[in-house]
Amino acid sequence: MNPLDWVVLLGTMLGIAAYGTWRTRHTDHLDTYLKGDSATKWGTIGLSVMATQASTITYLSLPGQAYENGIAFIQNYFGLPLALIIVCAVFLPIYRKLGVYTAYEYLGKRFDSKTRLLGACLFLLQRGVQSGVTIYAPAIILSSVLGWQLDLTIIFTGVVVIVYTVTGGSAAVSLTQKWQMAVIFGGMVTAFVILLTKLPPGATEMAGAMGKLQAVDFSIDPDKRYTFWSGLFGGLFLSLSYFGTDQSQVQRYIGGGGLREGRLGLMFNAMLKIPMQFFIVMLGALLFVFFQFQPETPVFFNRAEWQRHLEGADGAKFSELDKKHAELHRAKREKIEAWMLARASGDSRAKSAAREEMVTAQAAVDAVRGEAKNALLQANPRAKVKDSDYVFITFILSQLPHGVIGLLLAVMFASALSSKAGELNALGTTSTIDLWRSLRPLAAHDEARNVRAAKWFTAFWGLFAMGFALSASFAENLIEALNIIASIFYGVMLGIFLVAFFFKRVGGSAVFFAAIAAQALVIAMYFSLNIGYLWYNLIGCGACVAFSLALQAVLGSRDQPVERNS
Amino acid sequence: GPVFGVLAFTRFS
Repeated sequence: MNPLDWVVLLGTMLGIAAYGTWRTRHTDHLDTYLKGDSATKWGTIGLSVMATQASTITYLSLPGQAYENGIAFIQNYFGLPLALIIVCAVFLPIYRKLGVYTAYEYLGKRFDSKTRLLGACLFLLQRGVQSGVTIYAPAIILSSVLGWQLDLTIIFTGVVVIVYTVTGGSAAVSLTQKWQMAVIFGGMVTAFVILLTKLPPGATEMAGAMGKLQAVDFSIDPDKRYTFWSGLFGGLFLSLSYFGTDQSQVQRYIGGGGLREGRLGLMFNAMLKIPMQFFIVMLGALLFVFFQFQPETPVFFNRAEWQRHLEGADGAKFSELDKKHAELHRAKREKIEAWMLARASGDSRAKSAAREEMVTAQAAVDAVRGEAKNALLQANPRAKVKDSDYVFITFILSQLPHGVIGLLLAVMFASALSSKAGELNALGTTSTIDLWRSLRPLAAHDEARNVRAAKWFTAFWGLFAMGFALSASFAENLIEALNIIASIFYGVMLGIFLVAFFFKRVGGSAVFFAAIAAQALVIAMYFSLNIGYLWYNLIGCGACVAFSLALQAVLGSRDQPVERNS
Repeated sequence: GPVFGVLAFTRFS
């Protein structure tokens, strides 16, 4: 980091936040504060939906995941376009027609207040914790690599996002997300182009030969984490639940210039999300090729952690692992060069034999990386051994020119701020509309008081997320654990909404107790089965719908719906 | 109330 990088980083990060704060400083209407400017067009809505979904994890960890395991992760997004079509056709018209502020307000109109409260509390619990991770995840990586203080990094990003989100509400969130996405696109394309200029000819073919380009796997093995089927069906239910029932997304498209703008914003995402994710995972697969030709490729990408152990009591063991890795890496590079020669000669038999040797050499390097991680765990059982999160940032800091380094760090912070702002905005809205108003029904008509309450709740959740990030000692795989928790809760939440939309004879008590029973079933299955976590979305949803219908048959006329869909 | 690419590219392996 040199002064130019700091100017670019702080200029973009604080400039966009200040612009959003200044432009929306007079937001005093509840509708504008909670739903955004009523003239918002589909392009802004589409970018806002995209910015809320993609946090720093998307841009920092996904390339690392592709480096390590290939691009199969992209299959997780296969259900997304289909889910967005269903949200456009079914969910959005009903939300718009009823003029609700939150998805859970609809549950209150359709069922009863206890079902509304159940939906709102499930959202607040899950998203409140998740918002802590949204600022913790980039802070831990960037502070480790750049030597910044972790606490200060968390507090700085937390305060910046609280200032503009509390000031302008949804209007400020949409406005800043548009510019943050411009920074993100600009930075990622710049990094990709620079990477392409540093690659040898045949890089894509080499990534494929090393098994990194398995984009689609039609296997029906349920134990496999990423397959076409788990992505299509599990991903469909996860995306339906996320876009249709999670207030942090519902709030992005529920306002704006009308139903048409919301629908086109969602269709914009349906068309661009998979190509965008493909671009990010391809960046990771090509980073893998790039690092094959770097003599200094580390055995463990979190260099700060590795250095601590090199200088520790077991330093000799770690130094030995460094040497062993360097030798194997050099041997692998020779095999790669032999494969490139065979490829250039056009001799397919020689090329096939060279490929086998190259893959064997890669397996040897992978084995020594495994040894290194085991050594770290032996030295410190709480050591964080997942170093794939550090692959892309290592490339950024070692290969990009000054100024561009600042731009890429701005990408990481912009993505953290944009997804965090969407979450805070939704948490504040749900707390105000679904909780506070229930306790103070007479205050519902006092607009100024409602806006004040929404601002206080938004600030509270911002401080809660900061406190959570500062105090929680995050486990190594907590981020993935939170994705699993989301899958455990999302399915049941979606089930409640599907019953609301499509089973008009089911009443509030039936769906309320069915949801609790379905949730208990999913949690029990999670602890007793070993299946890909995306499937829990489908199981939870199916169980909730089936139990609701069965309970309604038992309860009969004692449990009538408050209102009907038709 | 005015769209899915499925990569099977894989067949690089």
